[in-house]
Amino acid sequence: MRGVGVRGGGASGGGVSGGGVSGGGVRADLRLAWLLTSGSDRREWWRIGLTAVGAAGVAAFGAMAAAVASVHGYVHLSLTDGLLDAPGERSGVLLALLLLLVPGLGFLGQCARLGAVHRDRRMARLRLAGAAPVRVRRIAALEAGVACLAGSIVGSAAVAACVLYAGRPPARLWWLVAAVLLAVPVVGVAVSLTALRRVVASPLGEVRRLRGGRGGGRALALGVFLVVVAVSGGILAPAYGAAGLAPMFLFWVLLLVGAGALGVSGGMARLAGRRYAARAESPALLIAAERLSADPWAAARTHAAVLLVTVAGTGFVGVRKALLEGLHHNDYGPTDLDFYTAGIDLAGAAVLVGLLIVLVSVAVSAAESVAARRRALARQVAAGVPRKVLRHAVLLETALPLAPALLIAGAGGLVVGIWYASLVGHEFTVPYTALAVPPLMLAACLLSVATSLPLLRRSARPAELRHA
Amino acid sequence: MSTRHILLGLLAMGPRHGYDLKHRHDERFPQARPLAFGQVYTTLQRLVRDGLAEVEETGSDGGPERTMYRSTDAGARELADWAGSVTPSAPFVANEIFAKVVVAILSGGDPAAYLAAQRASHMQRMRELTAVKSAKDADLTTVLSADYALTHLNADLRWMTTTADRLATLTAEVEST
Amino acid sequence: MNTTESAHGQPLLAARGLYKAYGSTPALRGASAQLRAGEIVAVTGPSGSGKSSLLHCMAGMVRPDHGQVMYGDEHLAHASEDRLSELRRTQFAVVFQFGQLIPELTAVDNVSLPLILGGTDRRTAHGQAHSWLERFGVLDRAEARPGELSGGQEQRVALARALVTGPRIVFADEPTGALDSLAGEQVMTELTAAARELGAAVLLVTHDATIAAYADREIRLTDGRTGALEVSA
Repeated sequence: MRGVGVRGGGASGGGVSGGGVSGGGVRADLRLAWLLTSGSDRREWWRIGLTAVGAAGVAAFGAMAAAVASVHGYVHLSLTDGLLDAPGERSGVLLALLLLLVPGLGFLGQCARLGAVHRDRRMARLRLAGAAPVRVRRIAALEAGVACLAGSIVGSAAVAACVLYAGRPPARLWWLVAAVLLAVPVVGVAVSLTALRRVVASPLGEVRRLRGGRGGGRALALGVFLVVVAVSGGILAPAYGAAGLAPMFLFWVLLLVGAGALGVSGGMARLAGRRYAARAESPALLIAAERLSADPWAAARTHAAVLLVTVAGTGFVGVRKALLEGLHHNDYGPTDLDFYTAGIDLAGAAVLVGLLIVLVSVAVSAAESVAARRRALARQVAAGVPRKVLRHAVLLETALPLAPALLIAGAGGLVVGIWYASLVGHEFTVPYTALAVPPLMLAACLLSVATSLPLLRRSARPAELRHA
Repeated sequence: MSTRHILLGLLAMGPRHGYDLKHRHDERFPQARPLAFGQVYTTLQRLVRDGLAEVEETGSDGGPERTMYRSTDAGARELADWAGSVTPSAPFVANEIFAKVVVAILSGGDPAAYLAAQRASHMQRMRELTAVKSAKDADLTTVLSADYALTHLNADLRWMTTTADRLATLTAEVEST
Repeated sequence: MNTTESAHGQPLLAARGLYKAYGSTPALRGASAQLRAGEIVAVTGPSGSGKSSLLHCMAGMVRPDHGQVMYGDEHLAHASEDRLSELRRTQFAVVFQFGQLIPELTAVDNVSLPLILGGTDRRTAHGQAHSWLERFGVLDRAEARPGELSGGQEQRVALARALVTGPRIVFADEPTGALDSLAGEQVMTELTAAARELGAAVLLVTHDATIAAYADREIRLTDGRTGALEVSA
């Protein structure tokens, strides 16, 4: 048998890390990944479609950033109302586009977590058929890669078409777009591999996430952080020169504040879970608390992008106020003023687009969570738990850890805004409108989660128990 | 088991010799105890006496005497009544296994060991029957009669399993009275 | 026991003194069992007696807390995940009550899976898969996905997948548990006939004595322990 020879060779080289993989192995894995993707039923296609959409968005933002970065000096582009004509404005647009990558990547990560129950079961079955843990992870990651490649092609092609319409771009740009096109699926595979790194699927289907403490999550965050530093440093440094360092610094401060808020969210989930589980009087609070203390970081993972957008949003409101005041002080003519306001509002639109992406991913993951727990919820209803209690539990599960984290994120963003305002306007002003951002974010998130409540009503029926 | 009704049933296909009837019976009911020739002839004579069967012809062809029997109308009615009537759902099951368990308790024996040995014996018989019915050339008659025996042995086994689990309680109960 | 051992030769798979607890609940408390080449052995016992745990430990899917599992000269309790995966792909096979097929793959791809994972190209793998599907009378369902199969057809596809690699041991955990008794008996007849033809040993976990009667002998578990005979063996 031919198979035996191949196995003999593969096994002798392999510890658990299994570094050496023959080309045929990867081809076979790619083939299996494709078969698994193409054989998915409609519910899975929804997940694959979302992943592709996310990848398309990331690829589009990336390709647009490349396109903007490839323009040099003063030019006149008809398509963009003069916004891209001068280097200064271009760098602002570039920053906005790079910022948009963050929620885009967050959304992709969210999609990777969608259908986790389904995926884990499939991984266990592959293990049962004799696939080693490393291979199962690789096959799952390649599945994500296939979806990301599809989205990436669409996103990059759309940007390429726009660029061709706008003018004659330098050849260098095509290399950059091609690099973005390929980088997105590679990033998708890498994100999946990292996300699955700690998932050990036993062949019997009990999937356990190895608990290595918070160190793993921190290392992951640090890794992503460094990658983004390198990438945007590489793109921004030529565009800005030395003068451009202030917005860069701003960008990183915002990211750091977001990461801190994330830690707060996880820690709060753990604390609140433990505290309320012990002394909750209301059943809804008890259910929410038990779920939080069972997996405190689940909420944090979902809310990472929310917190980042909150930091960015609060910071932006402050910065906008400072800039506008600065503009009024300097007595620009009305035309110039309109021009600058338009630029700032464009950045604001970018933040709003990011917010929209984030809210969609919150809604999607809430729906996913309800769908995955369908039978458990139906059992609770069958056992006499009122649906109202379950509804409140779902909302509390979001609100308990998110509210304090949003406060921290908002405070951080506010400080950044004030700091930036003092840099620009040389005076100390408090952007009061920014104070409204955290509560608005909480309300928006709860509304997003509330979109899963109709699903809860439909799912949590004792009749669901009849279906296996 | 009513031999007379089974013979009447076999006669329903048409007139038969006693010799023929015995072989048809053994073929049709492979897991049953084979009929003795003597039993066949006695039963046929009783059927004739009761007017349920009659002699069709007696030929000798130079060899031993061969009598051909056939069913009468009364026989056909009797057969239909029997085949359609419900078999009494045995109100008292003579249960040797249970008797042995109780006797073992009374006489200070080891009922658990007895039940384990009985279980092993039942399993052995079930394996034999399973081998018979899953043989490639097994016909449906063989399969169904083996299934009947298997199902009954399985019922015994299940009873023995639950009894073995409750021996302590049973021992206390038997010894206290 | 010595006479039987010398008659059947060295055991192919031997478990000695297995202990396994899930949390504070003990599943196995000193279970021992042997499987010789080509032998069909039923593991029986009441619910919760540790039947499935014994099968999982012996198949290398669960590591026992104490005790050893020897496959030839190899300690399965200490084998690496990669080695265990390789064994599952080549020499062990499993049939469960349900749920071992991958819903996204067609029947023929499910059957081919262990071969493809082992590096066989898809066309060759499909050829072998087809002949097994034909043997179990489900060739016409080759392109159907598991969701479109009846329970009996699904188990036949699972049998085909278990046997396609020519395994030395088939681990069957209540393989007929989800079927009515007639379909269950047909599946058992096909499983035992095919295993005997291949010379594969079968470790069959069942609570049903009529299913256990398809085996050559029986290992009885009570409260996670095997009988004295198995311990001394």
